[in-house]
Parts: sequence; structure tokens; C-alpha cells
Amino acid sequence: MAIRSRTPSSGGSQSMFKKRSTQSLSPTMASAASYLSAVSQADARARTARSPTPTPTATPALSFASTTSSEPTTDIDELDEDDEKFISPLSVPFRPPTSEQVFNTVHTEFGHCASEEFRLTSAHKPGAPIHGHVDKDPPYYILLSTYISYLVLICLGHMRDFLGKRFHPKAYRHLMPHDGYASLNSDFDSFYTRRLKVRMDECFAQPVTGVAGRTIVLLDRVSLDYNRTQVPTGNKTRALNISSYNYLGFAQARGGCADVVEEAIKRYGISTCGSRLEGGTSELHTVAEELVARFVGAEDALISSMGFATNSTIIPALVGKGCLVISDELNHSSIRFGVRQSGAHVRMFRHNDMRSLESLLREVISQGQPKTHRPWKKIMLIVEGLYSMEGTMVNLPAIMNLKESYKFYLFVDEAHSIGAIGPNGRGIADYFGIDPRSIDILMGTFTKSFGAAGGYIAGKKDVIDRLRVKGYSGTYAEAMSIPLLSQVIASMASIMGVTTPTVSSSNSSSTIAIRSHAANGNGHLTDDEYHHPGPVSSKILPSWMTLPPELSSGEEGRTRLRRLAFNSFYLHRGLDKLGFITYGHPASPIVPLILFNPGKMMMFHRMMKDREVPIVVVVVAYPATPLITTRVRFCVSASHTKEDIDCVLRACDEIGDIMDLKHGLAPADRWSIDEICDRAVELVSLPEA
Amino acid sequence: MDTASSTIQPVIAYIAYTLSTLERGFYKLPGSGVIERYVRSSHQNDPGRTFLELVLIVFVIRTLLQSRTRADKDGQHFIEFTPKEIDELVEEWTPEPLASPLDERDLSDLAAVPIIAGSNGPRPKLVNTGKSAYNLASLNFSGLAGNEHIKQRAIETLRQYGVGSCGPPGFYGTVDVHMDLERDIADFLGTEAAILYAQGFATISSVIPSFCKRGDIIVADRGVTLSIQKGIEISRSTVRWFDHNDLQSLEEVLMSVEKERKKKRGPLTRRFIVTEGIFERDGAMVDLPKLIELKEKYKYRLVLDETFSFGTVGRTGRGLTELYNVSASKIDMLVGSVAIGLCAAGGFCAGSQIVVDHQRINGPAFVFSASMPPLLAVSGSEGINILRSSPSILDTLQQNVQAARSILDRVESITIPSHPASPIIHIHLRTPTSTSLAVPLVKPGSHKPSNPLSPLPRDRPRFDIDIEEKILQDIVEEALAQGVLITKAKRPRGMEISEARPSIRLAMTSALTRKETEKAVGIVKAAIVKVLARRR
Ligand SMILES: Cc1ncc(COP(=O)(O)O)c(C=O)c1O
Repeated sequence: MAIRSRTPSSGGSQSMFKKRSTQSLSPTMASAASYLSAVSQADARARTARSPTPTPTATPALSFASTTSSEPTTDIDELDEDDEKFISPLSVPFRPPTSEQVFNTVHTEFGHCASEEFRLTSAHKPGAPIHGHVDKDPPYYILLSTYISYLVLICLGHMRDFLGKRFHPKAYRHLMPHDGYASLNSDFDSFYTRRLKVRMDECFAQPVTGVAGRTIVLLDRVSLDYNRTQVPTGNKTRALNISSYNYLGFAQARGGCADVVEEAIKRYGISTCGSRLEGGTSELHTVAEELVARFVGAEDALISSMGFATNSTIIPALVGKGCLVISDELNHSSIRFGVRQSGAHVRMFRHNDMRSLESLLREVISQGQPKTHRPWKKIMLIVEGLYSMEGTMVNLPAIMNLKESYKFYLFVDEAHSIGAIGPNGRGIADYFGIDPRSIDILMGTFTKSFGAAGGYIAGKKDVIDRLRVKGYSGTYAEAMSIPLLSQVIASMASIMGVTTPTVSSSNSSSTIAIRSHAANGNGHLTDDEYHHPGPVSSKILPSWMTLPPELSSGEEGRTRLRRLAFNSFYLHRGLDKLGFITYGHPASPIVPLILFNPGKMMMFHRMMKDREVPIVVVVVAYPATPLITTRVRFCVSASHTKEDIDCVLRACDEIGDIMDLKHGLAPADRWSIDEICDRAVELVSLPEA
Repeated sequence: MDTASSTIQPVIAYIAYTLSTLERGFYKLPGSGVIERYVRSSHQNDPGRTFLELVLIVFVIRTLLQSRTRADKDGQHFIEFTPKEIDELVEEWTPEPLASPLDERDLSDLAAVPIIAGSNGPRPKLVNTGKSAYNLASLNFSGLAGNEHIKQRAIETLRQYGVGSCGPPGFYGTVDVHMDLERDIADFLGTEAAILYAQGFATISSVIPSFCKRGDIIVADRGVTLSIQKGIEISRSTVRWFDHNDLQSLEEVLMSVEKERKKKRGPLTRRFIVTEGIFERDGAMVDLPKLIELKEKYKYRLVLDETFSFGTVGRTGRGLTELYNVSASKIDMLVGSVAIGLCAAGGFCAGSQIVVDHQRINGPAFVFSASMPPLLAVSGSEGINILRSSPSILDTLQQNVQAARSILDRVESITIPSHPASPIIHIHLRTPTSTSLAVPLVKPGSHKPSNPLSPLPRDRPRFDIDIEEKILQDIVEEALAQGVLITKAKRPRGMEISEARPSIRLAMTSALTRKETEKAVGIVKAAIVKVLARRR
């Protein structure tokens, strides 16, 4: 016992790490160190008294937070869904609505913002340059300290393993062979998890409750045993949510879409009981598939109950042995999972780098299959529309050019771009003004912009029919459930707008006319003629479904798209002007802010969460990102108001100064935070560099 | 990187300086000898690790100094071409079409897929016929589909949580109702913990690769369903197959693996037995007590897919563990479906806390996908409550299964491979469908073990997929014309490790009474007899 308590066990080495990494950073870390000690004091207080954590940061110079600072934001025990007495900028709009303004959303779910100036329509301007991915390098001391941080972490980790195994064999039992069983998890494989991730476990898997809308309610927790376990304190905190993939703000418990879902549950129940081909197809599936096909501008579409499984079950039905998949190096895990199942050969190219892609194409086509040099049966290029960790938009025009000459098939995963970008929200093709039918396979998910779950595949009718039969999900996976189908139908229809059949649906912006079914196409245009992108005829929607006028007119859908575009540009440009290093395209609702040092992750997360207006952020590091580019990833939503973005910018500005994060723009070119907030509209409309 | 190269030299000097200072400092440090010894001993135990650490350091320095390099060309087989030749080759190359059009049968099958108008249940209305039919196709074993109480709770949840969770579990997608359902499942089964996946099918194909890695050994049944096949494939582990639902064959394989290991004197690796509770392919049921005995004897971990047995067998639907009265904690990874067993959505893996926590970080379909919508999780929890409090549900289901079997077992022209208690009943045609195939399926007496390396058994049953599928589809259509909805077991032909024999798959439900079940199954029987008579 005595020996055990004297060995530098977990507690000792942890604080050692903190000291080390903070010293190795930079002079400004002095204040960061003091922050950390404040945090640990607060922690101690929370552990003993279980009292809500007061904000240890210096009084923030928040313009609107200070207007409400007399109200204790930490008075969260009373936090309740309908408790409107609790006044915080999170539940009360910055500008109270005037008598003419009617908001039919709940402010905590979908922020009230009536100012028409905070809107933007984003589309690619023909001829404007398209940037690939630009790695922006920080000063060398940052790089060096990042590597040193990792080295220190690794060394300490191994030291702890070494000592722990000798003095605490019980705690390491699952890592060592016992009773004739090999360890479930080799200590080498789990090293990263045990020694690096556990340190910042409080940033991950935070339990929440309620709607993942503009704000989210956190179920507070503390760890009393150095992150081995997290215990709930029983308190709740409402925080500004700039983390969920709620791009168009359809995560709502009230409003037209939720009403449709309720009606659908009453009429159809929950589950459709089985797979699509074996008695689990509801009429709502056919409606949703038709709607998705029209939404994305394809001949036909199929839907599946999980976005991940859409990729992993459909890709093997498209390519197999003797085929080649060319994959962007940063493609999502579901794509890799699907490609690995397919048995096709895989080659990767540098993220969004068209030159690397072209030289790879020339190499693989000329060389043919490995060893035999036989020509490939098919080559399929798989890219994402918008990359979820980088915010880069795929260079689709260049890919379309390459496709002309190299004859590969193109598969675009629009999980993050569908609904989120393009003047009509129809994704990446819409943004660049490219005919969606020239893309062979359009894949996307309903998890993000549509506030549901599941995925779709759209393309030519004969291809889709084949996937219905040969994809695994049609035969084996459960069909999408009723609440999700109805949410998809309602939200999609409200982005498109609905026309009643009497009104002619001819639209000036028409690019493609879609005939109902190619099978009976005798050159005669019927009522079903559809122009992409355009409103949908109410005939294809379920007859019982009624959307409120602001949704069925498409008015609100357009507003959401324009609010999202404004917010994306504003946050992106705002952070740039403050001097941060960000990645990605300004039109992208995903805005990564690069932190570099892994130690800053948890601090950033904590400092954002402990503010007067708590903000929850997603921090990611290796292995989800390259080793050095540890980052914060913001996901902007249409539900955020301009003031919410101001709030995030102010928070970043303060924390960025404390943590020495501003390594982007030269100080002379930066704008002050007040200037940014005041000149937001101007900032957003600056031409692209 | 222009500026980089000019700054690089001082940086290198700085690194060298730092390193030497570090080294000197290191030896001054008390206890540095321990570390040094540690590095030495770790090097001795596992030189791979030292190597990997070195690689990491090299990697670090390399990334610092240069941008990423291009994938290098494999030298041996690389042929140099001039740009002009490449252009020509590119010009010449014509790819195959992305997807060949479907053949006649697939197209007509696709057109005949039943579409349900309104709520699904024991007697739904079909879009195809405009009439209602007894439903022996949809998976509604416990009859929870359309349950008013569950609907009510789902609507309440909708009004509190919205529909989607809009995030993966790691990033604000862990909602309290998910944790509740996980706890409910663990309590219900009697395991330490459970983890939820957003889709039942994706669950096991993610669970297997999260534990089984290259070099590990998986011993699997030859008759496992596609999701398990895919999970095994992705894991890249060494696979040994045993004959379908034949535990003697399993034991032989386990012994041969052990022998092989002894011979090679290899290190102890992780070893798993992967099989199903009730098999999706034919409804056979595994002998769980015997399986557990073998697993414990040979020290394997057991991955059991209870997709078709959770919520369908046992007194209250807890599955095989309840049926055979064994503790669920003996099964290391127990996988089940919330979608099928509880008529909600998603799947789960139950097991010890360590098993579950491991998946929270390493399960690809868990980590990289949005969590289940909260209202579906609540529906699942309510389903468990109902199963717990009303054992009559499973009673009715079992009675219906028995009623169906007592009718079908007497039909001579079919065989039923399913277990008598299995709520999915597969129907195979008995008559050899083509004279050339009229070879006896298994040669009696000659018990020679199959090759464990091959997923195909030694004595392969022979059947003609096309002909059988055609007959079965005729039966399905005949039954539908008489008011009973049934379905062939659909298979993506050509995509699985071995082809499953064509079958009709009946799914029993407790939502029908015994009388109704007898009537519906009677109609199925009549359809079988009629269609087969017509063919003679
Ligand atoms: C590119 C991409 N594809 C697919 C998915 C999986 O979608 P889902 O969360 O609906 O399973 C994601 C989700 O993160 C994604 O980013």
C-alpha cells in the first residue's frame, strides 16, 4: 500500500504534463496557466459542493451578454423546457420582435432574426478561381511545441504503462493475457485512447437532452477519478450549440415539420417492420424516393435507414474485383468501409488536389491492373461534396473536365453539402451550376440538413434499380422508419416549395425537365413535368400532409438557406479577420479553426463552455486529423442569429489572445472584434480573394 | 515553402541543440536509469514498438521538413510510358457500364415488391392490390407495430427532442434517452452494459472489426448472414469455417486451430467464435449451452448475433439466453436488433463494460455515424417495458409458430430447415428441380470434415436458383391473390460467400390470433400445393 501511494501514479503525472506542455508553449501561456489553475479550483468546488461552476474567465466585454449579466446564467437548476422566466441571451432574442413580426419558431431551437440584411445567397461565380485545400503554416515554434507535446505525452504514457503494470496489475488486467485468453485490446492499439484521449474525455460524448437546435441542454458531469469515469451532477446547462450538423435548423420540436411527423406517427406508426424488399416498404418510402430524386435533380433515388450504411452497403454493389476506386485521402470512414467490402482496388490522391488526381488517373489507366496490366473494368472516383473536417468544397468543375477525358464514373458523397450549399440548397452541383445528371452517383444523408437520419443514393433509373436489388440494404437492412420519412418529406418539400397542380409549374430557372417515368415516354409532356430546381407538385406528396403556408410557399426554406449562407461567410471571414488560421471555403457551414497544440484543445473547449453564455464546440485531433492540425470545428446553422455568431467571434477573440492562436493574417490587416461585428454585412459581401 | 527552406537550417540546429540538452538533462534526472532500462526491456519484449516509436519520430521530422509525398509507384511492375502513349491508352480505354441493367426476373420481382398503404401490422392494406391481407412477411414478431402507447410516447418525445439527433454520439449526439435505452437493454438481458447502433444491419458488421484485427482468429458458421460475412471480411482476421449449425464440426475446427498453434508455437492471439442465435438464412437455432461449453473449453470469445432471437423467443423475449436459461454474461458480445425485436430502429451490442466502452471509440458504425433519433430510442425502451410486463405476447407468438408448423410440416413437397420454435419459418422445395441435380444432397455415412479454410461445405447441397426462385415467386403471388402476404427470402445473388438456397420466409406474429394464423398458413399451404401441382 505504502509503495503504491508514493509512486507517481496517474494524478502526479497528469499535472506534470500540464506544467510541461504549458511551459513549452509560449510566453502568453502564463495567463493560460493561471486559467488552468482557476479551472481546477472551480473543479474542486464543483466536486465538493456540486455547485454550478461559476465562470472563471475575466469579465467578458460582451455587448449583449453584459446587458443580461445581472441575470445569473448559472441558475440552471430551474432549467426547464418551457421556463421562460430564465432570461439569457440564449432564450430571449437580442432584438425583441416588433408587433408585425411573427416568429413561429422557438428561439432556443431556431433563433429569431428579422433583419433582411443578414442574408446571403451563395453561388459560384463563373470564372472565379477555385482553391484546392491550402495548408496554412503556423510559426515554427508552434509546430515544434506541438511535436514536443506529443512526444511528452507518449513518453509519459509509456512510463505510466510501465509502472502501472508493475504496481497496479489489476487495472491493466484487460490489457494482459489472462486465463488463457489473449487481451481484448492490445496495449499498443489502445495506447492513444488510454494515454491521450482519456486526458480530454470531457470534450467527448457529452450527454445532452432536448433538441439539438440553436441551443442545446447539457447534462453536466464531473470526473472524480481522473477521467476514468464521468458522473452526472444532476445539473443542466443550456449552451449555444455551434456543433451539431443542423445546417438548415430543421432540428425542431415545434413547427410545421414536427406537426407533419406527429400526424404521420398517428397514421402509420413507427416502424415499417422489415427490409425494403421483404414487406417493409411503406407508401411513404416511394413518396420520399420520388421527392429526393426531384430535389437533387436525378432520374431516380433510393433511400436507406442509415447514412453510414448507405455508403457501406451500396458501394460494393457498384464496384468489385477488377475495378478501381480512386478516393480522396480524407474521405469519410463509411466510404472506406464500403470500398474495403467491395474488393475493388483503391488508390488515393491528395486531398482535393486536381493535379495529383490527374497524374494518378494517367498512371492507373496506362498501367492497368497491377501485375496483369489488364485494363480496369471500371474506375470510380469517390469524393465528398464538402469535407466534414476541413470545410473544403470539392473542385467539381475541374473534376467534370477530367471526367470528360478520363471516362471514370463519379460518386459524390453530399452528406454535408446537400441542403447546406448552393443557391437552392441542392448541394455542390447547384453551387457550381453543374447539371446534376452529369454526375453518375449522388449520395447524401438526411442526418444533417434535414434534421432526420438515413441516406440516399440518386442516379440513373437502371443503376438505382440495380442497387435496390444488389445493394445489401434493400434485402437485409431495416427500412427507414415513419418519423424519419415524414421529416424528410416535410423538410425537403419546404425547401423546394409546393405548387398545387392548377398552377403551372413552369419556372424561369428551369434547367432540366424530368418526365415522370422514362418507360412511357412518348415525347409527350405531362403534368408531371418538373423543372430542376423548382417547386414540387403537391400531387406527389401524401394527401394528408399539410404544411403551413410559410413552409409550402418555400419562403421559409429560402430564408433558411440565405441565413445559413450569411452565417457561414460571417463566421469564416470573421475568424480570418481576427487573425485565426481557418480552413475551408467561406460558403461552407463547417468552419475549422486550427489550434495545433493538442493541449489547447481541452482548454479551448472548457473556456468556451465556461463563459457567461456557454458555447459548446467540437474539438478534434489526431487520428481524425493530421498529427499537427488539431482543430476546433464549428458547424454553423441557419438557426443562429447574427448575434450568436458575434458571440462566438467574441469568445474566440478573447480565448485566441489568451492561448496565442492568432497566427493567420498579419496584425496590420486584422480587424478589431467591434469592427467585425459592426461591419458584418460588408465583410460578408467582400469579393473572394 | 520558399521561406521555409531559408528558416530550416536554424531550426535543425535548434532541434539538435534541444535534443542534446534533453539528453544531458535526461541523464541528470533521478530515475532516468529506470526509463533507460524500460526502453531496453520494452525493446526486448516488443522490438516492433521501439521501431514504431522511432518511425513516429522520423515521421514527425519528415512532416516538418517537407510536404506530403506522392504515393510511390511500385517499381517492379511499373512500365514507363511517354505522355503521348498515355494519351493514347487513355483514349483507347473504355470502361464497362456502371451497372448492367437488371434481368427479366429481377425486374418482375422488383415490380412485385409489396408496398404497404398506411400503418403496417397484422392485416395491412397493400398498394399493389388495393386490398388488405394477412401479413406473414413483415417482421412484427412481438406485435408492437402500431402500438398506441408506443406511438403516444414517441409523439411526446418528438415534442421534446425533435426528430434527428444531428450528431454522432461523440459530438453532442449522446442524448439521455439513448443512455436510458442502453441501460434498459442491459438490465433486460442481464449484462453489464450495452451500446446502441443506428441500424440493426450495420451493428454486427461494425462490432466484429472493432475487436477482431489482422492475425486474430475467427471461427464462424458457414451459414451466417451477410452482415456477419462482411464484418469478418473487413476485420482481415484469419477465418476458419465450421459446418452450418454443427457443433461437432465446430469442435473439430477448434481442435485443429489449437493444434496448428501448438505446432507453430505462435503467441496467444485473440480468438472468436462468431455465429447466430436463430439463423437468418434458414431459421435454424444454435444449441447455446453446448456452444458456451465449447467456447469455455477452448477459451474463445463468443460473438452471438441474436437479431432474430431477441424479442422473439424465451418467456419474455430475452432471446436464447432466456430460452436455454444461461446467463447472458457468458456471451462476450451479444448483438441484437432493436428494429426487429422491438419494432423501433437500430441495433445493440451487449456485454461487459470493457467490451462496450471499447466500441464507443473503435466501432466504426458507432463513431462515424449520427446517433439514433431520440424518439426511436424511446420506442425501444417502451417496447422492452411491454415485453417485460406481458409475457402473454411471447406465448401467443409461440402458439402461432406451433400452429403454423403443425400445418406446414405435413406438406410433403416442402422441407423446413427452421427450428420448431423459430418465429421465422423458411420453406424449401423438396422436389429436385432439375433431373441433372437429382444427386442425393448428402452422401450418407461418409462423414468427412469440410475444409475449414473454405466457406463452402464439402457436400454442397445442389439446387437451381433460377427455377426454384420462379416457383417460389409463383407461390408468393398465388398466396397474395388469396389474401396472404408472404415473401421469398430476398438475396443479392452473386454478392455473398455462398448462395443461400431459395426459400419462402414466413414471419409469425403475435398480433394475429391462433385462428387467424391457422387460416393464413392454410392458405399458404394451399398455394404451395396448387403451384407445385400445376408444374407437374
Ligand atoms: C461524408 C459522410 N458520409 C456519410 C456519413 C454518415 O452519415 P450518418 O451520420 O447519417 O450515418 C457522414 C457522417 O458524418 C459523412 O460525413
